[in-house]
Amino acid sequence: MDSYNVPESTPSASSRPEDYSVGATPLQKRLESIRKQTSFIPTPPRRKVPQCSQLQEDVDPQKVAFLLHKQWTLYSLTPLYKFSYSNLKEYSRLLNAFIVAEKQKGLAVEVGEDFDIKVIFSTLLGMKGTQRDPEAFLVQILSKSQLPSENREGKVLWTGWFCCVFGDSLLETVSEDFTCLPLFLANGAESNTAIIGTWFQKTFDCYFSPLTINAFNLSWMAAMWTACKVDHYVATTEFLWSVPCSPQSLDISYAIHPEDAKALWDSIHKTPGEVTQEEVDLFMDCLYSHFHRHFKIHLSATRLVRVSTSVASAHTDGKIKILCHKYLIGVLAYLTELAVFQIE
Amino acid sequence: MDETVAEFIKRTILKIPLNELTTILKAWDFLSENQLQTVNFRQRKESVVQHLIHLCEEKRASLNDAALLDIICEDVDLFDMKQFKNSFKKILQRALKNVTVSFRETEENAVWIRIAWGTQYTKPNQYKPTYVVYYSQTPYAFKSSSTLRRNTPLLGQALTIASKHHQIVKMDLRSRYLDSLKAIVFKQYNQTFETHNSTTPLQERSLGLDINMDSRIIHENIVEKERVQRITQETFGDYPQPQLEFAQYKLETKFKSDLNGSILAEREEPLRCLIKFSSPHLLEALKSLAPAGIADAPLSPLLTCIPNKRKNYFKIRDK
Repeated sequence: MDSYNVPESTPSASSRPEDYSVGATPLQKRLESIRKQTSFIPTPPRRKVPQCSQLQEDVDPQKVAFLLHKQWTLYSLTPLYKFSYSNLKEYSRLLNAFIVAEKQKGLAVEVGEDFDIKVIFSTLLGMKGTQRDPEAFLVQILSKSQLPSENREGKVLWTGWFCCVFGDSLLETVSEDFTCLPLFLANGAESNTAIIGTWFQKTFDCYFSPLTINAFNLSWMAAMWTACKVDHYVATTEFLWSVPCSPQSLDISYAIHPEDAKALWDSIHKTPGEVTQEEVDLFMDCLYSHFHRHFKIHLSATRLVRVSTSVASAHTDGKIKILCHKYLIGVLAYLTELAVFQIE
Repeated sequence: MDETVAEFIKRTILKIPLNELTTILKAWDFLSENQLQTVNFRQRKESVVQHLIHLCEEKRASLNDAALLDIICEDVDLFDMKQFKNSFKKILQRALKNVTVSFRETEENAVWIRIAWGTQYTKPNQYKPTYVVYYSQTPYAFKSSSTLRRNTPLLGQALTIASKHHQIVKMDLRSRYLDSLKAIVFKQYNQTFETHNSTTPLQERSLGLDINMDSRIIHENIVEKERVQRITQETFGDYPQPQLEFAQYKLETKFKSDLNGSILAEREEPLRCLIKFSSPHLLEALKSLAPAGIADAPLSPLLTCIPNKRKNYFKIRDK
């Protein structure tokens, strides 16, 4: 058998991304920027399919029901300095006073707003991945009922919850004085979110940052949530792409029957309990090729903006809605991972 | 009166159905009121025709008069606006005691109808009217979508009967812009550009290439870009597209993959998909896809057929 010398680097015509930038077509430029984006993310090549976490046994079902079917805006939060779970009543009082003061300053005036509010801090037991995760907690602004004889608890005006699900990588890096709850979800008026954010930042020396979800992670979410076994489907599986054409914008919505999406996924899926990068890519490529066969449009050249399944739906602007209590922890785990990545 | 003229008038009148005869004769305006009054229209048709011919002879009908009668008969629609309005209103009022119907005629033989709906027991709701535009010289009407669904069949019935058609069929075509719907339905969108000179050399359109590139790459790109531009122009033309906001496709087709033959290979059932394209100006956006490299040229006929098929709602199944 002859041995022959294989040259170390075969000079091939513009195989490196940088070579594309000169005189590249708009499509090539877009592909290059996407490549640059994804190359920085140290994503694991595989993730566990979300399962029911055993810790969910102590979760208050009423509180869980309250968290589902609502749209939450996501933020990442750096660790809180000298936060204590035994001071929740004190924090309620302080935050209450702060909000009233801010609103009276006219900094966040909303016409017709009732200044009669009540702030409540409460813990959310069981909303965690491992025992190491700190306890999640909830902050709510309620309107105080005008009539004292009627139900004391008024209407919930704003809710924010702080949690950490499988946040080991972050927990390992911080000292005892810090409490790590990197994922923050808010529902309610943006002005309230801003005021409460300011108070937390001042009180615990932390920093909020809006958490966006890029197309790469949206694809992962779509694949993982399609992989979840659901008793009955409450929503169709749907994707939304935004096409960067000018001068008019174009949105393409692609809804597929959840049973068919599951059949497609099952046909691709190999390792039980795990989802790999190849499987996610193949799942998306199948959807792209089915679409291309009919419309001759390359969805991969457009921007994935929203994915929606019976488990949850997520929007690239950092908005999430969780529909299935069984996989609540699983969804939060992925979001915690994104939040932790943004902080580091 | 000439024998041939008499014969011609006789054959023309024989073709007219009895219930339309008086209307047509009145429109013809050749026989006087008095003369028509002497005719017994309840007899057998042959007798009626004979009597009419006799009257025409008395008045010495000429070939011109006969030709005029022929034209009037050909105009089958013979649209009587007053009768349409009365009939339409009556049908709705008979079904729903409380309904407000208003009309406005415009040029182009269009009548705008506004209907405020009530029920047997409640007054019409003036804040949720339905608008219909009926083009009397065509078999087309356009309806606004603000209607309470339960009244749609009744509205269809009223339109059909009042306009003297047999049935009404809903087209799969919706848009916010009435002018665009008209352009598509009446195929008016390319009339102004019939004489466009299509021999303009493509090089005149700026392609924006960087001159410093490798000359072989330039050549390949230009050839491909020209091909895309040409095909796009052939498909869409150079004129402004009618304005539509969305197109919706219900797909029930089997999955066939060129990537990996084994995926869903055993599955008999098709994938059930619903695809919706939305844009402030859909057709212009679709037109820009191939030149931008996002779509292949030629674009799929499912998209390019929208103006031709006058549809923007589709159901696609495997053949």
